[in-house]
Amino acid sequence: MFKNSLSLIVFKKEILESIRDKRVILGVIVSPLLVTPLLMGTIFFFAGKRAIEKRQATLDIGIVEQQPFPELTNWLEDEETINTSNFPSRDEASQAIQGRTIRAAVIISEDAQEQYNANRSAELDIIFNASNENSLNALGRMQGLITKFDKFALNKRIQLKSLPESFASPTLVETTNIDASESAGALSLVLGTILPYLIVISAAFGGIQTAFDLCAGEKERGTMETLLVSPASREEIVRGKLYTILLISLIASFCAITGILAPLALGIDLFKDLIGDQISFDLLSIFWMLLLVIPLALFTSSLLLVISSFARNQKEAQTYILPFISVVLLPAILSSILGAESSIYTAFVPVLNISLTMKQIFGDLSEPLYFTISLTTSILYAIIVMRLGTVLFQREQILFRT
Amino acid sequence: MIAAENLTKTFRDRKRGLVRAVTDVSFNCQPGEIFGLLGANGAGKTTTLRMLATLLEPTKGRATIAGYDVKSQPQEVRRSIGFLSGSTALYGRLTAKEMIRYFGQLNGLAGKKLQTRTNELIEQLEIGEFQDGRCDKLSTGQKQRVSIARSIVHIPPVMVFDEPTSGLDVMTSQTIMSFIEQCRSDGLTVVFSTHIMSEVERLCDQLAILHHGKIAAEGTVSELQFQTQESAMEKIFLKIVNELEEDNV
Repeated sequence: MFKNSLSLIVFKKEILESIRDKRVILGVIVSPLLVTPLLMGTIFFFAGKRAIEKRQATLDIGIVEQQPFPELTNWLEDEETINTSNFPSRDEASQAIQGRTIRAAVIISEDAQEQYNANRSAELDIIFNASNENSLNALGRMQGLITKFDKFALNKRIQLKSLPESFASPTLVETTNIDASESAGALSLVLGTILPYLIVISAAFGGIQTAFDLCAGEKERGTMETLLVSPASREEIVRGKLYTILLISLIASFCAITGILAPLALGIDLFKDLIGDQISFDLLSIFWMLLLVIPLALFTSSLLLVISSFARNQKEAQTYILPFISVVLLPAILSSILGAESSIYTAFVPVLNISLTMKQIFGDLSEPLYFTISLTTSILYAIIVMRLGTVLFQREQILFRT
Repeated sequence: MIAAENLTKTFRDRKRGLVRAVTDVSFNCQPGEIFGLLGANGAGKTTTLRMLATLLEPTKGRATIAGYDVKSQPQEVRRSIGFLSGSTALYGRLTAKEMIRYFGQLNGLAGKKLQTRTNELIEQLEIGEFQDGRCDKLSTGQKQRVSIARSIVHIPPVMVFDEPTSGLDVMTSQTIMSFIEQCRSDGLTVVFSTHIMSEVERLCDQLAILHHGKIAAEGTVSELQFQTQESAMEKIFLKIVNELEEDNV
């Protein structure tokens, strides 16, 4: 890693300066380890609470009977989860929805009773306000209740015709989850989608502050000239700086993983409502993921070093960051959309390949060929960009741009 | 000890095309001597010194420092020089002591030798009371003392000063001037650039007036006084530069 001690001296000094930088500590360690879990916990806690409230709340529903249809209205009135009130016309029911005194209303057609009795379909119309979240929620609840009523009515019709109960169910479907793990399957799926994305983002963006400080910042403050005039060659300086950015990026990534997994693994109370019991993680999977992060972080660190070397100052470096964000963010987002079983050509796309490989690891999907191509190409891309960074750093036009 | 021969530096500029920053600059400087480069802003002083310090590669010509060629032996050259300029800064999050040690290590010092040299400089430059203070918290004068220590930690035989007093107050400038004189007394080869006439009069054994990247005149202060029939350095400088401008017209 360090061909000679001068790179190591530069590296040690850069690390010392970086860990004394409050912005780095806050962004790389404090935020992912404390702020992110707290934020996630708070969001999940309130989202869960809201979902429960939504499910349990008693809804005010209006009924407009153009002609009486007691079979349905009596059934609805008996439902404990809704409060019904009658309205003489559709317009008045609409006004009540707009005025938020009721959340939705069922309009019963004039011939509903007649159609129902003739074993045909009684026409109903549910009116609601799509711009009102509560009204939208009421629509869902009402559709559920009507389905329940349909089942009840269907059973009655079957009984009257002396038909077996299975008449209304030509098939009988049962579902069996073959996932043997004790952890919540749905949560594993969500984590498998979010985690690779999060790891990629944290590995790529964790080193931004350090990268900008180490090159553009040094030029801006006037320390770069002091360093360049020392016996350290430019390649040694680049290597020392690059490995610093790499280490900070890896720490950022590690903290991001820990910040999410540790509370889940430890079964902190805040998450228990969400996941039920503790969730277990395969240590080997985490090892493979950490291995994959290294070439990815080297690739993004080298890219950041190129940007930072080119910029005259930190402000200018920030303006050049947009293409970098696109290079990293787009494949990362794409990985959360694409399935883990993607075409082999995606293993050649930088960032996307690592992200998808992580997804495969999480999904217990063993694809040795994909893994090998992904790892090899990522190392290759990292070396190419690293070389580019070194070449750029050697150029006077870049270092002494005014 | 410093020998520059037809040093030339050109670069491409998108707006101005091919720019000749320095053209055929030649001079020699021996141990125990101070060679000054005097010129207005943009005359080519910094470019010349950057070529000597191996920060820029000469387009043409050659230069040797302590016998090492700036093009083919840049690392040896950098080991032989101490570089101090008005614009060079310190690492704000390192302490004064760490700063000296860092540059000592970069120059090959280690272990007991590094410790002894660091302590020696701390004592010599009276850095002791703020040695553990972070550089960004130091006063300008204190920073300058740390910069001096940083530049001489490896005991270089050659010192390069690029407008070292630029932007400094009178007191701090005096510290630098005294330091340059001390370098001469210690037998070091010193080259320094400035646009401040009084500094030239006080310090330089030999000087070259740079104008538009070329040497317009060269010699001792008294030789230039004789040549221009002027006594004040400011007048000498203006006379030489104006004559050159007239010739060009």
